[in-house]
Amino acid sequence: MPTNVVMPQMGESIAEGTVTRWMKKVGERVERDEPLFEISTDKVDAEIPSPAAGVLAKILVQENETVAVNTVVAVIDGEGAAVAAPAPAEAGRDDIKAEAPKAAAFAETPRRAVLAPAREPGEKVRSSPLVRRIAREHNVDLAQVAGTGLGGRISKKDIYAYLEHAPQTSGASPAPAAAPAVTMPAQAPARAPVAKKMVFTGPTNVVPMTPMRNQIAEHMLASRRTSAHVSTVFEVELTRVYNLRAQQAAEFERRNGLKLSYTPFFVRAAVEAIKEFPIVNSSVDGTNIVYKRDVNIGVAVALETGLIVPVIKNADEKNFLGIARAVQDLAERARSKRLSVEDVERGTFTITNPGIFGSLFGTPIIHQPQVAILGVGTIEKRPVVRDDAIAIRPMVYLMLSFDHRIIDGAVADQFMAAIKSHLENWEEPVL
Amino acid sequence: MPVMTFLEAIRQGIWEEMERDPSVFLLGEDIGAYGGAFKVSAGMLEKFGEDRVIDTPISESAIVGAAVGAALAGMRPVAEMQFMDFITCGFDQIVNVAAKIHYRWGPAVPMVVRGPSGAGVHGGPYHSQSNEMWFVHTPGLKVVVPATAYDAKGLIKSSIRDDNPVIFFEHKLLYRRIKEDVPEEDYVVPLGKARIAREGTDIAVITYGAMVWTALEAAEALAKEGISLEVVDLRTLLPYDEQAVLESVRKCNKVILLHEDTRTGGMAGELAALIASQAFEDLDGPIVRVTSPDTPVPFSPPLEEFFLPNAQKVAEAARKLAAY
Amino acid sequence: MATTLTRRQLHDLYYFLRLNRRVDEQLTNFYRQGKVVGGVYSGTGQEAISVGTAYALEPEDFVGPMIRNVGTLLVRGYKPRDLFLQYMARKDGPTGGRDANTHFGDVGRGVIAPISMLGEGVNVMAGIALAARLRKEKRVAVTYVGDGAMSTGPCHEGMNFAAVQKLPLLIIAENNGWAYSTPTEKQMAVRDLAVRGKAYGIPAVIVDGNDILKVYQATRAAAARARQGRGPQMIECKTMRMKGHAEHDAANYVPKKTLEEWKKKDPILRFEKYLTSKRLMTAKEKAQIEARLDEEIRADAEFAEASPFPPPEGAARSVWA
Repeated sequence: MPTNVVMPQMGESIAEGTVTRWMKKVGERVERDEPLFEISTDKVDAEIPSPAAGVLAKILVQENETVAVNTVVAVIDGEGAAVAAPAPAEAGRDDIKAEAPKAAAFAETPRRAVLAPAREPGEKVRSSPLVRRIAREHNVDLAQVAGTGLGGRISKKDIYAYLEHAPQTSGASPAPAAAPAVTMPAQAPARAPVAKKMVFTGPTNVVPMTPMRNQIAEHMLASRRTSAHVSTVFEVELTRVYNLRAQQAAEFERRNGLKLSYTPFFVRAAVEAIKEFPIVNSSVDGTNIVYKRDVNIGVAVALETGLIVPVIKNADEKNFLGIARAVQDLAERARSKRLSVEDVERGTFTITNPGIFGSLFGTPIIHQPQVAILGVGTIEKRPVVRDDAIAIRPMVYLMLSFDHRIIDGAVADQFMAAIKSHLENWEEPVL
Repeated sequence: MPVMTFLEAIRQGIWEEMERDPSVFLLGEDIGAYGGAFKVSAGMLEKFGEDRVIDTPISESAIVGAAVGAALAGMRPVAEMQFMDFITCGFDQIVNVAAKIHYRWGPAVPMVVRGPSGAGVHGGPYHSQSNEMWFVHTPGLKVVVPATAYDAKGLIKSSIRDDNPVIFFEHKLLYRRIKEDVPEEDYVVPLGKARIAREGTDIAVITYGAMVWTALEAAEALAKEGISLEVVDLRTLLPYDEQAVLESVRKCNKVILLHEDTRTGGMAGELAALIASQAFEDLDGPIVRVTSPDTPVPFSPPLEEFFLPNAQKVAEAARKLAAY
Repeated sequence: MATTLTRRQLHDLYYFLRLNRRVDEQLTNFYRQGKVVGGVYSGTGQEAISVGTAYALEPEDFVGPMIRNVGTLLVRGYKPRDLFLQYMARKDGPTGGRDANTHFGDVGRGVIAPISMLGEGVNVMAGIALAARLRKEKRVAVTYVGDGAMSTGPCHEGMNFAAVQKLPLLIIAENNGWAYSTPTEKQMAVRDLAVRGKAYGIPAVIVDGNDILKVYQATRAAAARARQGRGPQMIECKTMRMKGHAEHDAANYVPKKTLEEWKKKDPILRFEKYLTSKRLMTAKEKAQIEARLDEEIRADAEFAEASPFPPPEGAARSVWA
């Protein structure tokens, strides 16, 4: 009967060994316990005695080869007859056989189909603490939700499926974080649910994200997970600013060599409002609110490849011209990729301008670790009611996304009212 | 970057600290000429001399006690337990002397007690235990359990530099089985910070030590079934990273607590209490424990295999929890 | 007996012996007045060992006293108020109320705090001695053990370790006859603790622990040998615990006759007799020392009683360095 000779485990942590010398040739007779080969491991070098008497029928591991412990290195045949191929080394104890048909079937269970509860009247509704919280936040009667969990239990995916399809909650997004009416318990900031991965099966081109894209993607998701985003929108009349530009743009450009754009007006207005409401210029650190002493305003610049937010440092110490210069300088260097790391660091508040592409207003995502972001919509003349008559005025929608963890709606709206008032009653000379 | 085993990474971490700081020295049984039962200190006697690599009698109480005294006198001793099972013989010195000195009368006790722990190598009841919880339950200590070679080096260096007594558990199964790129330069991994070993969305598996690899193996298998496991490697058990645990639970809403240590009074119980009190309303299913049963570690391979958690047991628990 | 000590040093010794006794007496008073939290563990009858050993050391040496070694702490510079505050669990005590009685220390003063588990201190002090050797400092570490502590395993591990490593460790074995209520003949089957040192290769001498000059001289000699790199040294001091284990213990298990015999050997009275008979201390000098003690004890007792208890929330702080 053939006997397998294995690489022994010479110590509890040893995983492999090297055969350094065979002391018998194939076909030679070997006695039980007679030295057969030598090995070297991390811990010891040793002479290995033969496990059986017989003829060395096969050497499977040559000298200077390293193999895992318990690997068959040779075969000894007691009778000298031909030897069957050795059994492969025993599989690792933790090997998982891909054999879970039951679970796989479960994973494919279509859940969209079951929107009507298959529950007897009076039967107890089984759910989870998370499901009950989501139900409370969205005013959902759990009796109306079908459960696909064990014993008809309503799970997270069931209630999200319900919210996606139920008509009475059309106003509410399935993401609990987007429901500003509910104050979240401070201990449990809600997380947007991660969508189940859907795969498109038609023809595609796959292009890997650029590092910048990837970073933006991560940053945006992280921000949604971190802050309790709420947005508010104000309509602002820009007549004074508009007229100022019309009258003084040419002279401004002649004197200073730069265009008189709208952006510095919004930066100035935001800085003045921040002075009144410093919480907008803060961060959250655990259970602390960190008020920043500097006012550093980031101005988002759209690039072909993505988006970058250079920062005007100490914007509260600059006059109008200083801000206008900084805006132009940073935007130019952003587009020509000459920004340094320092240029995009230490922002305390951000302004973004989706209006340049015609957007009326959006709901921007907060630039972490800041707590608010101001969006500027498109500036255009619109009919408005003034003294009960319809008038034509240059108008803009300003929106603020803010972190409801520390900024309440009332504060955010007063902050926006301050910006509005500053712009509508603009007094600061620009020349 | 050189490829290093878990064991070599620990050795290099200690080596670098000894080169960097003359107050660091080693003491333990058979660590000198022999290089330690597992060869962690191989080559150190030749390099650093017998004043800094001290072979001791078989006296764990003396080893730990001398480390405490030397630490009080300004040294940074690293004491080796030949097996962490034997730490009981120096237990009083750790829990009653070292752990309480700073709280009682002020001085720092910068010392490390390190050694091999854990099962899976058929070592039997006295060479296989995962006894980290005895120390996690002792205020004043820090308890560190690395899972990767990179972390092993970074954490042993942090532990040596820490001003508190640190109990450092090295899973002997990982010593030569884990090989990774490990930077040769000086870096540290901070104590008290967990690591996301694998991102996932459906079930958070919170674990440490060798079980991190078990969890990753289960995660790989379950990914094919559409179940996404997130694996959190605690790295430090005392103080442990509560925030990382809660964040992962809030993301996945279901959680498996996995460890090789036995069940009752294990780390999983502590984590379960934290999660139930701080993230109750984020739970979409029961908190599940996968651990060894409440028995000593048995010797014979089939008995030990029955005893230990493995990827199949984790996968089985995960499937049930996913369907809950 | 002859001595190399100066007159001033002899007066110092006498002062510390008396201070030790007076602190113990004051603590007993506080205890009986209900001002002490917990028990009071007196060193009465053993003052010559605490004071004589500590006085023989150099400032850079380390001591690891036991609970009754109040005299050691006083010689190392602690004040009576430190003991009073500790025993009364007050905020201004050396541990701020975190631990009791003599469980305090200060690395700067070379004092390592004991713990309640006996025998462990031998290992810690061996570690101090090890650090001294590694740093090539001429420093001796002194560990105090009793006849009870010497029955523990850790004590023997520490003695053996120190012997093998040739550490400058000085083992002061105080044989006071009793460990709580257990007499030495139930602790060990040999007569002298000193034989245990010899068994590990540690030179050991036996001295009369109630003769402060003998204790002092034996300590000077042993510390010098340890300092020269001749390895650990042991001194067994034969003495008698004159009170119960603590104030709550009347020690009825100790034969009255034994106590009366030992009372005649009181270390302070003996030393006083020696000083006066050799004309090394006048009646006036003695009275001056006593007046100084009166004032110190009075002032420190007042100070300690006026000290507040620690603020409760402090309990949660400083678990880690």
